[in-house]
Formats: sequence, C-alpha cells, structure tokens
Amino acid sequence: MITIDSINNWFVQNFGEVTLEQAKSWFIYNPEEKLLFNTGLFLGLFLVFYFVYAFLRKTFYLRLTYVILFSLFFYYKSSGIYFLLLLLSSVVDYGLSQIIYREAKDSRKKIYLVISVILNLGLLGYFKYMNFMIVTFNDMFHGNYQLHDIFLPVGISFYTFQSMSYIIEIYREEIKPTKNYIEYLFFVSFFPQLVAGPIVRAKDFLPQIYQKLNLTKQDVNNALFLIIGGLIKKTVISNYISINFVDRVFDTPMNYTAFENLMASYGYAIQIYCDFSGYSDMAIGIALLLGFKLPANFRTPYKSTSITDFWRRWHISLSTWLKDFLYISIGGNREGTFAGFLFPSLFFFGLLLWGISNVNESFIPLGIAFGAIVLFSLTFLLSKKRHQTLVTNFNLFTTMLLGGLWHGAGAQFIVWGALHGLALAVHKMFMEFFPSKKEGNGSNFLWTFFSIVITFHFVVFCWIFFRARDFETALQVINNIGQLTFEPEQWQTIVSGYKNVFLLMLFGYVWHFLPEVITSKMKFVFDKTPLIGKAIILGFVYWIVYATAVAGSQPFIYFQF
Amino acid sequence: MNTKSYFFQSFAIVALAFVAFIGFKQILPDKIFPDSKVDSKNVLIDSLLLESVANDSLALKGGNVSENEKKEAGEKITFNASEGIEFPSETFENYKGYQYLISFYDKLYELEKNPQAKVRIAYYGDSMTDGDLIVQDVRSNYQERFGGSGVGFVPITSESAASRASVKSTYSKNWKTQSYLNVKNPASPFGVNGHVFFANNKANTTWVQYEAGLNKYATTLENPTLFYGRSTRKGNVNFIIGKDTLRKSLVPGNLVNTLKVTSGSIKSFKANFINSDSIPIYGFNFDNGSGVHVDNFSQRGNSGLPISMFNANVMQGFNNNLKYDLIILHYGTNVLNYGTKNYSWYEKGMTKVVNKIKESFPGVSVLIISTADKSTKYNMEMKSDSAVVPLMKSQKRYALDTESGFVNLYTLMGGDGSMVKWVDESPAKANKDYTHFNQRGAKAIGKLLYDQLNKGYEQYKVLRENRSTDVNKRKTVRKTNTDSVSVTKDSVDE
Repeated sequence: MITIDSINNWFVQNFGEVTLEQAKSWFIYNPEEKLLFNTGLFLGLFLVFYFVYAFLRKTFYLRLTYVILFSLFFYYKSSGIYFLLLLLSSVVDYGLSQIIYREAKDSRKKIYLVISVILNLGLLGYFKYMNFMIVTFNDMFHGNYQLHDIFLPVGISFYTFQSMSYIIEIYREEIKPTKNYIEYLFFVSFFPQLVAGPIVRAKDFLPQIYQKLNLTKQDVNNALFLIIGGLIKKTVISNYISINFVDRVFDTPMNYTAFENLMASYGYAIQIYCDFSGYSDMAIGIALLLGFKLPANFRTPYKSTSITDFWRRWHISLSTWLKDFLYISIGGNREGTFAGFLFPSLFFFGLLLWGISNVNESFIPLGIAFGAIVLFSLTFLLSKKRHQTLVTNFNLFTTMLLGGLWHGAGAQFIVWGALHGLALAVHKMFMEFFPSKKEGNGSNFLWTFFSIVITFHFVVFCWIFFRARDFETALQVINNIGQLTFEPEQWQTIVSGYKNVFLLMLFGYVWHFLPEVITSKMKFVFDKTPLIGKAIILGFVYWIVYATAVAGSQPFIYFQF
Repeated sequence: MNTKSYFFQSFAIVALAFVAFIGFKQILPDKIFPDSKVDSKNVLIDSLLLESVANDSLALKGGNVSENEKKEAGEKITFNASEGIEFPSETFENYKGYQYLISFYDKLYELEKNPQAKVRIAYYGDSMTDGDLIVQDVRSNYQERFGGSGVGFVPITSESAASRASVKSTYSKNWKTQSYLNVKNPASPFGVNGHVFFANNKANTTWVQYEAGLNKYATTLENPTLFYGRSTRKGNVNFIIGKDTLRKSLVPGNLVNTLKVTSGSIKSFKANFINSDSIPIYGFNFDNGSGVHVDNFSQRGNSGLPISMFNANVMQGFNNNLKYDLIILHYGTNVLNYGTKNYSWYEKGMTKVVNKIKESFPGVSVLIISTADKSTKYNMEMKSDSAVVPLMKSQKRYALDTESGFVNLYTLMGGDGSMVKWVDESPAKANKDYTHFNQRGAKAIGKLLYDQLNKGYEQYKVLRENRSTDVNKRKTVRKTNTDSVSVTKDSVDE
C-alpha cells in the first residue's frame, strides 16, 4: 500500500531532504546559481508555470501579466535587484516610443529618437564598458582613475537591443506601437529570450501577441526537438570540453604542446557554437511551447562557403539587427557618415601606434599594422565603383568593430571584429574579381569543399582572439600552433589521453556537418514517435544532462615528448 | 489545421519526461564518462609515488582519527634555544617552526650587515612552480630587499621551458634526459635539480641557448657557469656569445665540476657540446655573486618522494659550489588524487626525503610548504577537495618531526573554499582546473610566502637583540606538551 510516508521516503531518497531553507533558496537571488534553462530548478519551476499557463491560454491580459510576472522573477533570479533596471528602462522606452509615434514633425521625432538611443546606449555603456574605458584611459595616458564596482546585469546587451529595435521601427513607421504598457513589457521581458537572445524584432513578435494563442502538434514536435538538441549541445558538448580541455590550454598555452593548442582552438570553435546555438535553440523551443515563434538564430554556420555566408548563418538575430539598425543608420552602401569613418580610422590609428611603440623589439607589429591598412585600402582602391565601395567598406568595418565590442568589453573583441570586418571587405573585392565564384554559380564539389575549409579555419583563427584572456595569450596560442610538426605518434598519445573530450568534439563536428537530409530524417522519426516515446527520449536527455553535470573534471595529464 | 490546443499534451510530455528521468537515474550509472586511465610512457607520473600508493593499500586504514587529531591540534610545541634564540611556543594548529630556520636567518642577518655576503635558497616543487611561477616572485621579493641578481640554477631542458619568462631557454631535440621522476638507475647520478642530461648525438650538434628575460633583477645572465659531472672521457664545448666563439674543454674529474662561461653579465649565449656524449651535464648557474639567489627546481607530476634517491655525495659536491642555506619543499598537488585520506605513507616517505636533504646539505634549514587548496566537484558544486586538509596535516606532521619550518599554504590562501574564490574572482588568480595559480595568483602566493618567512626573520632579529649572553644550548630540541587546551580544529569537508 502506498502511504504518505512511503511517498515521502521515495522522494527523500531521490531528491534528498527538502528543507524550508532550501525551498526558500529556490526563490531568492543567488549570484552563484543563475537560473539557466539547463538546471533542474528551471525545469521544476517551468513545469508549475506551464501547467497554469495552459489553463490561461484563452485569456489575454491575465495571461500576459502572468508571463510578465514569471519573466521578472526569472530575471530577478539571474540579476537580483537589477530587474528594476529592466522595468525602469522599459517605462522610459515605452514613454518615448509613444511620443515619437504621436509626434508629427520629423525633426522632433528625430530628437526623441536620439534621446532614447543615447539613454539606452548610455545604460549599456555604463554597465558594460565603463571599467574598460577607465582601464584603457589609464593605460594610454597613465591616468589613475579608480575602477567602479559595477555589476553587469544579465542580458542587458540583449534586451537593450530589443528595446531599441522597437523604438527605431516605430520611428521608421514599420510598426505601430502596442496598445498599452503591458503588451510592450510582455515583448521586452519575455523570459525565453530575455538573457541570451535571440534578439527578437518587434515587427516579428508583436503581431503574435494579438493572434489567438494556438499550439499544434507540429509546434510541440519542433519545440521538443530544439530543446533536446540544445540541451545536448550546451550542457554536454560545450560544458564538458571547455572544463576538461579548452579552458586549461587557454589558461596557460605555453604549458601545452602545439598539437594540444591546435586541438583546443578547434575545440573552442565547436564549444562556442554549441554553447551559443544550444542556448538559443532552447530559448526558441521554450517560446514555441508557449505558442510563440522566434526566428532561427544559427544555421550550421561552419558549413559556410565564405565569410559573408558565415555572417548569414551565425547569430542571425544579431547580425540582422546590426545590419538594419547600425550599418544602415550610418549610411550602409549609400553614403559615408562621420560615425562610419570615425571608428575604422581610430582603429587603424591605434594599430599604427601599437606597431610604432613595439618597433624597438620587433618590426612585425608595425608590419601587421601597415599590412592591414594597405589591405583595407586595396579593397576599395581596386574596385571599379571606388567611391561606393569605400563607403560600404568603412560602414561595414564600423559595424563589425562595434559588433565585436558588443560581445564583451575588451581589446581582443575589437580585434576579433576587425578581422571579420577586414575579411568581409576582402571577400567583397574577391567577388568583384571573380563573379563566377558566387555561391551556386558554377561551383563544383572541390571548390565548395575548399571554400568551406578556408572559411572555417579563418573563423577558428579569429576565435582564438575571442577566447584568449588577453592579446598576449592569443599570440602565445598562435605562436605555439606555428611550431606544429608532423608527429603522429605524439598526436595519438594526446588523443588517447583526452579520449572523452576528443570523442565529444568529433561528435559535435559530425553532427554539425551532417547533411540536412539526415537531420530531417531524424526529425521525421521523432515526429512519428508516440507521446510516451518522446517523453522517454526527453527524460533520457535530462539524465545525460544530469550525469554530465555531476561528473567531476578529468584529472590533469602532463605529457612529455 | 488542427485547432485543438495541444498545451496539455505538451505539458504531459515534459512532466512524463521528468518521471522517466527519475527512472533512468535509478537504473543507469552515476557517471557518464569513465575515468580513463592513461597508460603511456609519455605521461609524466611519479613512479615512486605509484609504488608507495600501491604499498599503502595493503596497510591497515582507519582508526578513530578525529579524537587524536583534536588532541594533536592543541598540542603545545616549545623550542629549546639555539644560539641563545628561542622562539615562543606554538600549537600544532598554528605551527610555523621559525625556530628551525635560525641558521637561514643567521645568514640573512649576516648579509644585511655585509652586502657582499651570499644566501642561497633551493626551491623544489611540482607543476605549481612550473615556468618559475611563485619562485620568481619569492626571488624578486628577496632580491628587492637583500640585493642579488640572476635567476639561479637553470637545467638544460625542461618541459616547461617555453612557459618560463624569467629566463628563455631553447635547446636541440637530441638531448637525452633522465629524470628522477621516472628513472631509478640513471646512467650518471642526478644533479641538484633531479635531472641529468647527455649530449648524446654525434651526427648533429647538441646545443642549448639561454637568453635573459625581462624580470627585474634578471635582465642579464650573470656569470654563467656550467655544472657537469664525472666521466672517464673528456669533451668540448663551444660557447657562442654574440659573434665570438669560445672553445673550452670539459675535464670531468670530480663528482661535480664547474666551468665558467664568462665573467660579468651578458644578454644571451649558446653552448654547443662536442664529443661529450659520456659526460653528465646538469645545467647553468646565473648569479652575481652576492645577495640572495633562489633556484627553481620544479618538476611536473612530482610528489617530492623521488628526492630520496639523491646521491648525497653528488649533492655535497653541488653544495660546495652553491652553498645552500634554505631548502624549500613545496609538494602535495600530485598526491591529492588517489582516493585516500590516510597519508601516513606519504608522511613516512617525505620524512626520508627531508633526512636525505639534511644529509646532502649539512646544516641547511628546511621549509615545508603545504598543499594549496584544490577544489573538486561534489554533487554539481565545486568545493575544497576532502583530501586537502588531511594531506596538509600530514605535511605539518613531517615538518614538525624533521624539525623543519612550515608554511600552511592552505590557510594562508584563505582555507576552506578559497580555491573556488581564486578561480571565480575577476580578474581570476587561478586556473579553471581549480588546482594551479595563474601569473597573478602566483605573484600573490609568492608574496604571502615571502611575508611569512620575513615575519619570522623580523621576529628573529628582535630575539637576537634580546638574547642573553650565555649561549650554552647550541642544539635545538623539540619538547611536546600534550596537556594544554585544544584550539579550534581545521575544518574537514567530508
């Protein structure tokens, strides 16, 4: 007979004793334990939330308010008191957007827009870049300014951009504002994409609010498929290889062999893809379970045949945001603006200074600086439409520089953006000279293969700067890889030493490069699986996530060759 | 299109999956990734350590340790005066053993009075001090205060040479290296750093090149001097300094021989070894002849036990040239991962090591540095490894038993949970392996070590001033007193 005691015993056995203290901790902000989608706590909270949500599906404001409250709680769990910042900036943005919409005069509209952009970027700038600017200033002018003790509110980069898209789209008269603040707050605070994207555009999202909430069987299939894939990518592949291999090598690259450095670079490429796209997939899947369709954020980016192609497949919501609101705002391919010339000029000037200041030790930095400037100049000097290409390339370069900086406050992110910007410009020039090589145009298998390999390796090279703690560490990794010699026996020993890590990396890459026919076959089989089967599959994935989370890190291995 | 809402089915799947998960959790194993044991000649593992661990599993374990430990923690340790200097009594809990560093402090004092004098420290360690981490900071702290320049003794090859910034060394690939880590019977005895190198290749030249780094007090190579061992046949070496080549012959008559490359300081040089394949080569020493010099003898994977294989006669040969005043033994990281919390075998082994040190370097002071904090995942959370405190205690025990000074690095860096903090801090001070410090952390550790040693020195100077004129008792003897009150116990995370 099942008694309450026996249920209780079973519960304690499986989950451990739940004390009041613990139960309290589920609802209180803890900076050490963020509420991520791949945690057990999120699963528990979501189950309760979702059950009630299903009952509210036919209501409107009640449902919106319910989701807003959960979203704010979700944000509070990640950032504590800073959920008030989210509320505050949403009130201001909503107010300004109403004013812009009602204002008839274009010039005044523009003033309000500028105010809102300054406010939004000002907040983002303070929280994210203040200390970086102080450090840079101190370094350059031997200043002595104290660093501020600034907490970086989670997801501020994402929701700021999302909020800005709403205002700019209203200014451009692409959308109508929401009927009231509740609807707007629902859009800005929607928890699935709140802290790590995708950056949802107002014009894609707002219409869905007003539609009758519906969830088809196919939606659920898609959602579960995304969540399962996301969980595996994020918690199994990404987390495991980073802790057990990639982090170690990037911490002290000189302590590892050239081969280990090379593999860590490949490892980081698959790690960051799995981390980022895995979390995005989970966000999209969870939104879908709630009846909202968010656009895809990653389309197997390492299959790209060119760097331009890469940026159409990598973090799509960010790259389209940057294109629509930054690139086009500073002139796009139409005209040159002050801002469009300012940042690239500053960057190249800084590069030259770096080259000159190192001239006593080596001429290489100066050579790199000159090389970069000459290369960038050639990308428009060689063009037939010289003026237009110049403008386009400067604006493109600005977009990539600032896009790089968006990822984090640090010089290495700027370098990363600059490398991509330069590559985009070079690729455009290449296309002008060899128009036949345009994708799909007379391309054969070998050429496609070659293009993918080149593009992939360029991207991996840039990731080194993105991942390294600082510029010096990045150079150490690159130098170390440069010492690589062909020693298959040594490689074999290393591979067997890090067997689990390398198997997971292989799994990640094979999965990534799997032809779409196979992935859609897998999806087809999953769709046909009965409800209970899907539950078992999902449950098994939960177990994998759990088992990986409790796995300790591999002990250290030192090789001597 | 299906207009029927699918919400409840969707909820059912997620909820059922949760039930399925509970089921899976019960039937499936806890670990998804097996701990793969790497079996390869290329992995650095301390062979003496493996033997000791294997023997230990036969010995009896357990017993009611905690009661004894409580008693031990409060154990009062008093010292007998040495040359009229007697440090105040200590508890086991807070044992530092400055008393046993007096001969080192004497030499420092002498140096402070006469800047031409010399003090030399050998710092033995494992991967924690790889690439001269920590040691270079201890060195520069000492040289800042007492003078001296140069990086000390540097081996020929080292797996961490590339990561060492205090002196850059590159070498040809054809050196034959034997390390006390995994070789029991070397072709010639190991040198002071536990290695012996042979320029074994007749077809191609075997070379090593040194270039001064950028560290303060080590921007040049001071009086570079080659150390090599005994052999029946002579050999030659060409030193290339700038455009000049100096040809010198190696006369391997003694157990330890030296050959000065040049007097004064240079930026870099290269040494080509010619027809010297039978001669054991040990390394180069760089010091300016006065002040404090600290040698870094780090070896990845080392537990410290291999030092017991040192040949005392050879070490005395080194000591006649280098004249050590303090030997630091900084180990522990590599004995944390064997699932044991009973370290009596390690205590026994390391006691032998310290005795070997005392035999090799007569009259030298010995300082034991305990393991640092290290974290391991317990139930999804990183915490201090439960083996850290037992190991630290056993290290304290052999420090006390062998009359050595002691630095409790674990409490010095913050005690329980401190490694997690050092890793998570921004900017981070330790690596994501929750074991090793990075540059920034190593600098902090170097300072902490120096500060503790220096505190003892300042106290020594006060005691020296106040000492009574009669210097009867010349030998230090330890008395223990177990009847005093107990003090708080070190926390053990079980």
